[in-house]
Amino acid sequence: MKTYRKTLTGALALALLGAASAYAAPPAGRLLAAQCAQCHGTNGQAVSGMEKLAGESEREIYNELIEMKAKLKPDEIMHRQAAGYTDAQIRLIARYYASLGKTGSTGSRGSSSTSRKSRDD
Amino acid sequence: MFSHNRRKLLQASGALVATGALSATTPAQAAAPRVVVIGGGFAGATVAKYVRMWNPAIQVSLVEPNPGHVSCILSNLVMTGAVGMSTITLRYDNLRSKYGVNIVADRAVSIDPVSRVVLTANGSRLPYDKLVLAPGIDFDSIPGLDSAVLPHAWQAGPQTLALKAQLDSVPAGGTFVMSIPKAPYRCPPGPYERACLLADSLLRRRRAGRVIVLDANSDVVAEPHTFHTAFQTTYAGVIDYRPNSEVLSVDWAGKKVVTNWESVPFDAANIIPPQRAGKLVAAAGLLGSDPATRWAPVNPLSYESRVVPNVHVIGDSQGTGQPKSGHMANAQAKVCADALVRYFAGEQPDPAPMTSSACYSPITATTASWLTVVFGYDAASGLMKPVANTLAEAPAPTAGHYKDMFGWAKNLFADSFS
Ligand SMILES: Cc1cc2nc3c(=O)[nH]c(=O)nc-3n(C[C@H](O)[C@H](O)[C@H](O)COP(=O)(O)OP(=O)(O)OC[C@H]3O[C@@H](n4cnc5c(N)ncnc54)[C@H](O)[C@@H]3O)c2cc1C
Repeated sequence: MKTYRKTLTGALALALLGAASAYAAPPAGRLLAAQCAQCHGTNGQAVSGMEKLAGESEREIYNELIEMKAKLKPDEIMHRQAAGYTDAQIRLIARYYASLGKTGSTGSRGSSSTSRKSRDD
Repeated sequence: MFSHNRRKLLQASGALVATGALSATTPAQAAAPRVVVIGGGFAGATVAKYVRMWNPAIQVSLVEPNPGHVSCILSNLVMTGAVGMSTITLRYDNLRSKYGVNIVADRAVSIDPVSRVVLTANGSRLPYDKLVLAPGIDFDSIPGLDSAVLPHAWQAGPQTLALKAQLDSVPAGGTFVMSIPKAPYRCPPGPYERACLLADSLLRRRRAGRVIVLDANSDVVAEPHTFHTAFQTTYAGVIDYRPNSEVLSVDWAGKKVVTNWESVPFDAANIIPPQRAGKLVAAAGLLGSDPATRWAPVNPLSYESRVVPNVHVIGDSQGTGQPKSGHMANAQAKVCADALVRYFAGEQPDPAPMTSSACYSPITATTASWLTVVFGYDAASGLMKPVANTLAEAPAPTAGHYKDMFGWAKNLFADSFS
């Protein structure tokens, strides 16, 4: 089954050569960074009550997370989250959010998340 | 029609044959792989959105019979009257207009994994290259229990309002009986949170009633410190917690719940039955041959079924052992979306995915606690495992956490649905 799937992937990839750019591998850190979005908003654009991450500097995000991980205050849920990631993973996450710029545009329809308002507003 | 060619292509086992078949089609057609998602809850909505956001060249259809999703998250606050149904009703308009997800307002009834087609209740045939199943949970039946009469409210919507009606019907000095099924079930702290809010409501309404909690588990399943404290101190004399109590049957006419120990009379009740993957998961053969399997076995790198290729299962239906929460369903959906995007680029899934869960539980009308954990892929075992030092509950419920709960929920709702 494995070989079959590999072949299939190959065939599809070949077939899609015409649109090769549309099927590029995802940028490093994107999937890891997406795990922050449940609280900090799609592409780092929080809708309310939480810190926006898009466009913060790499150093800012990296240092903050590393510090949280080192301190582990019992009353801080975010410290537990930070403790889940290696320093290298934190570096990737920080670099990814810094790369988004303030508008947090990424992927194809990135701008879609910039003007969003929550339905409860 | 192209779909026919594609299906043929996908069944072909040789790359040569496959490329041959494809060259007969136009590039535009070839460039539109199809993903069908079944179920528009936290898992299904998120995967549909993220696949489109990350690669709009992929066509995504989301099959969901309801016009919007009613969230279980915050639904215990609808029971108490603290928030209205509109707060927890999440529509699909943004998935359609902002991300171009094709919303199919229909119920999936069967899957043909050989031809790769989903059949719907209205008779539509939806061909797919990759199928994602996110139908949530299904319940075991309990003799004498009709959940239309005695609500579980473990899926939100009309059940939530029926539960509110149960609570509102408790007479002064009356008894509310609720039951908790054996783990694993959806939302580990959820039933204990509900017990607290039932007790808080009775106290605030000066009903002087009691809440009897029949727990099939031997102890509180999640946030033991928070809930033992709440049961023994905050709600002393109101909550009567009875572990190892499994509901065997319900006598609706006689208003009694029968457990493995005793028969417990009630004025109002909330029986939450044991749970398993959404119906379609079993019907599609995704549980394998062992009838004891309740949740779909999947590869946590992509959430592809271990039983049927090209079918992925995410959210509460999957069986990786990660907690069944909306936050986690959203996390898994992103891992799955990333794997699908890579798959259509001819790439392997990310070898080290991470997921996490967070639940905020109101403990009183003004305070809440939280529970969190981060999971990482363990290559040696091929399993998702909790990362050291990340599983924690809030030291005490506070008003600050209560406020954070709404900020968290708003962001989670938006990240999943808009
Ligand atoms: C009281 C309570 C409190 C909770 N609190 C929290 C919390 O604080 N934090 C948290 O993270 N989680 C919480 N949860 C858990 C959370 O609600 C679930 O884990 C989450 O809903 C799972 O998402 P899902 O997408 O797998 O399933 P669901 O959200 O149940 O979605 C499944 C969807 O699939 C659709 N569907 C089913 N079958 C078909 C079919 N055949 N065809 C088409 N569509 C179909 C359904 O209509 C539904 O919309 C709570 C749950 C409860 C009950």
